[in-house]
Amino acid sequence: MKNPVVWRTLVVVGACLPFVGAQHAAPLQSAPPGPTLTPQDSAFHALNRLAYGPRPGDVPRVVADGVMRWIDRQLSPDGIDDDRWAQRERRFDILKYDRGDLAALYAEAQRERRERKLTAGQTAEGPDSVGAQHAAPLPEQTSLPTPADPMIPKSRRLAGEFADLAVVRAALSERQLFEVMVDFWTNHFNIYFAKGADRFLTPDYIEHTIRPRAMGKFEDLLIATAKSPAMLFYLDNWESVAPGTSPPFPLSARRRGGQGARPMPKGINENYARELLELHTVGVDGGFTQQDVIDVARIFTGWSIERPQQGGDFEFHGWAHDTGEKQVLGVRFQAGHGMDEGIRLLKLLANQPATMHHVSRKLCQRFVNDDPPDGCVDDAVAAWKRSSGDMREVLRAIFHGPDFWAAEHVRAKVKTPLEFVVSAARAVAAEPDTSPRLAQVVARLGEPLYLHVAPDGYPEREAAWVNSGALLDRMNAAVALAAGKLQGVTVVLDSVVSTGDADQLVDAVNEKILGGTMSENTKQVLRRQVADISNPTQARALAVGLAIGGPEFQRQ
Amino acid sequence: MSISRRVFVKSGGLALFSLGLDPLFLARAAFASYRPLPTSTALSRRILVCLFQRGAVDGLNMIVPHGDPVYYRERPRIAVPEKDVLDLDGYFGLHPSLAPIKPLWDSKSLAAIHAIGSPDATRSHFDAQDYLESGTPGVKATPDGWLNRYCQHDREHQDTPFRAVAFGPQLPRILAGTAPSLAIDDLQVFGLRAPQPAARDRLTRAFEELYAGSATGLLSTSSREAFEAVQVLKRLDPGQYRPAHEADYPRGKLGKALLEIAQLIKADVGLQVAFADVTGWDTHVNQGASEGQLAGRLDELGRALAAFTRDLGERMRDVVVLTMSEFGRTVRENGNSGTDHGHATAMLVLGGPVNGGKVLGKWPGLDPAQRFEGRDVAVTTDFRDLFAELLTRHLGATALSAIFPGFTADPARFPGAISA
Repeated sequence: MKNPVVWRTLVVVGACLPFVGAQHAAPLQSAPPGPTLTPQDSAFHALNRLAYGPRPGDVPRVVADGVMRWIDRQLSPDGIDDDRWAQRERRFDILKYDRGDLAALYAEAQRERRERKLTAGQTAEGPDSVGAQHAAPLPEQTSLPTPADPMIPKSRRLAGEFADLAVVRAALSERQLFEVMVDFWTNHFNIYFAKGADRFLTPDYIEHTIRPRAMGKFEDLLIATAKSPAMLFYLDNWESVAPGTSPPFPLSARRRGGQGARPMPKGINENYARELLELHTVGVDGGFTQQDVIDVARIFTGWSIERPQQGGDFEFHGWAHDTGEKQVLGVRFQAGHGMDEGIRLLKLLANQPATMHHVSRKLCQRFVNDDPPDGCVDDAVAAWKRSSGDMREVLRAIFHGPDFWAAEHVRAKVKTPLEFVVSAARAVAAEPDTSPRLAQVVARLGEPLYLHVAPDGYPEREAAWVNSGALLDRMNAAVALAAGKLQGVTVVLDSVVSTGDADQLVDAVNEKILGGTMSENTKQVLRRQVADISNPTQARALAVGLAIGGPEFQRQ
Repeated sequence: MSISRRVFVKSGGLALFSLGLDPLFLARAAFASYRPLPTSTALSRRILVCLFQRGAVDGLNMIVPHGDPVYYRERPRIAVPEKDVLDLDGYFGLHPSLAPIKPLWDSKSLAAIHAIGSPDATRSHFDAQDYLESGTPGVKATPDGWLNRYCQHDREHQDTPFRAVAFGPQLPRILAGTAPSLAIDDLQVFGLRAPQPAARDRLTRAFEELYAGSATGLLSTSSREAFEAVQVLKRLDPGQYRPAHEADYPRGKLGKALLEIAQLIKADVGLQVAFADVTGWDTHVNQGASEGQLAGRLDELGRALAAFTRDLGERMRDVVVLTMSEFGRTVRENGNSGTDHGHATAMLVLGGPVNGGKVLGKWPGLDPAQRFEGRDVAVTTDFRDLFAELLTRHLGATALSAIFPGFTADPARFPGAISA
């Protein structure tokens, strides 16, 4: 746009030359591969996929910068100045508590609840102990009171704040691709907040297991999740022991003396082993058998948690480990080994071609298309092999590939509820607070964070999100946001779209909110709708609300 | 500038074109125009309500084989004691938490099908749920769910926006497909919200025009379904609903879903297939026996079903409720006083048309030699035999081979859940 002559030349050259494999493209090229997008459309596309949508001014900034240069910077998040967000982050009290603190707060809240029930003359429920599985229903999204409510235990307040932290980070951080990847891995290595100890283990899991490794080597992330108390608890591995083994005396005494005397575990639990193969690594078609699942479970016997009810760390229990010989995917694990064979197995799995393909395909599904083209997946797998699973290189290959920029994939994906809410907030430069309310909007639209009960994480495909009820909810959220009535955020539309007559207004909304993608029909409807509204502020709010709730904005 | 602009327009057009060719979109377009709502008498049709016990319910502790000593031997800590079981036929009995629906058994409108499940051996929740919903065990590529395929192939019925409704935030796999189906999270707030009715109508119209003219693919069809439904609900005024016969629905998602299903049935808006999830059955640890974790879930289920039948009263003569789950759980309790993923489970059917007061299906027995892979209850009834029976004998379906591709439905194998 800035230099139409140069751009025209590039377009013509691009159209004439046979396409050269994108993985060979220079990393700092200023124009994306592929002949079809204008610089502005390229920037809009990249901001919709690598980021949670553009904020006002982002598109021209990325155009001026060169979209490939911007992408390259996003691939090195540590080099991006994020001071403004670092300041804001301090307002989130949850980050001041470690999992031990949270466990203590949670235990205190449980005690108080039981006492209240007893004084109210009811029978006390069994303690919502660390072993209670899925016992707690999802929190009623509409009933969370204001954070200042003294009746709400601190633990619950902090839990709401933690879900909000994810949404606000996505909205405000400059390290956008990093936040997108955190969301990707949070779903790939899904855990369930409402299952017992995961109520206080989840924040630690996100902060110290997922985030530090979100743009690193896959193998490191896989090992970290395997050893994380949150995952060990969620998929029951912490209780998986070789049949017939029992703990040495001090441990059993400690357990029995602890909160809620529990029966001692007596055998292996296959849950983690199965999901490790089926979801985390080789995938359901990765060629494993029921016997592989059993042997993986045997390899992980003894991978446990030190005092889970107190928020303890990973602990390997040698006494619980099955030291016999095992075989997984045709590879022998000789008898007599301990924790080391688990690490060996994780490294083996991380480097299986089936794992590379499975995870690369999911990444292409996230960034390119619900049904990703084979070429994109192949490029990603090739980069994985070259870099030994460095996620930055895998992502770079996807973003430099022709499929990422192909016209048929632009706006081909429907936003998830999280992507919709965050991109809407960013589009109107909304300032979120630390209350759980913005996260509650995401929950109402169908994606309560950290509360997907099944280990497969929230789906990426549009069929999971596009249905009539959810669409109406999105329209409602959009109208409320534009009217400044969405709780949890402050919106000042003056900084986004100036008021004006119907034509000016619709043009401005098209340019600022929809990146110039507004259809003729949408323009006409918007013009008609605002024509008879005399109050210019109301007209603007309606136009912005309709644009964000309308069909164009649902796509990315 | 001019060239790039033109290139953009062209590529935008290409994108639209490729979306327009989306097969799901094209097929849904075939349903594009709803016929006007027929009179209410024409709509008092037979209704199937499916409740999915997601997480694999322990069939053995729901419909307890208390006459088999193996049951007690294999479950020293979690078996339901003989004294607590509500006996049904001398061999099987109900879990005590299901006491609220025992009267339905006694009046012969509740039956159980035991040892039912998938011919596929997977013990993965996701695969097994997928197969139960797609209706094609072992075939992952099936794009739609069997309830949706029923709606596609049985066009005798009038299409109304409420013909197939899932209660929950997302449309489940079982209703995914080319026939229109609705996901409703809360009947009362379904639709656009605005302070005054006039503003609400205006907003609704504006969005309707936006989506009618600018949406593509699934966004287009889903939005059309949404606005049709909004129009019907406007007449209904669900906020004023009071359950009949002092029916007392339990708090929670299931009670709310069943209350709303009852409401739609009574409103005669053309509901034919309803669906809701009931979660919390994956009892690997501390499952409990007469009391405890599973008992708590069954208590909610029993009270919700009892309230639903009470609320509907006479209308239950047209209604069948089916409970289903992706698989059962191990015969033997595990080291954590729980049960792991197994094979066959039990399903319940209740309602006026049900051939009740019976535990149906062929019982394989619990001896290790009779079990599947030595550990789980063997499957003696393919779940498709039950589903096919409900679709044909209750809803009048004819196109069974299209609804369950690759499966030959044989009435001789139907478990006999519907009265002749």
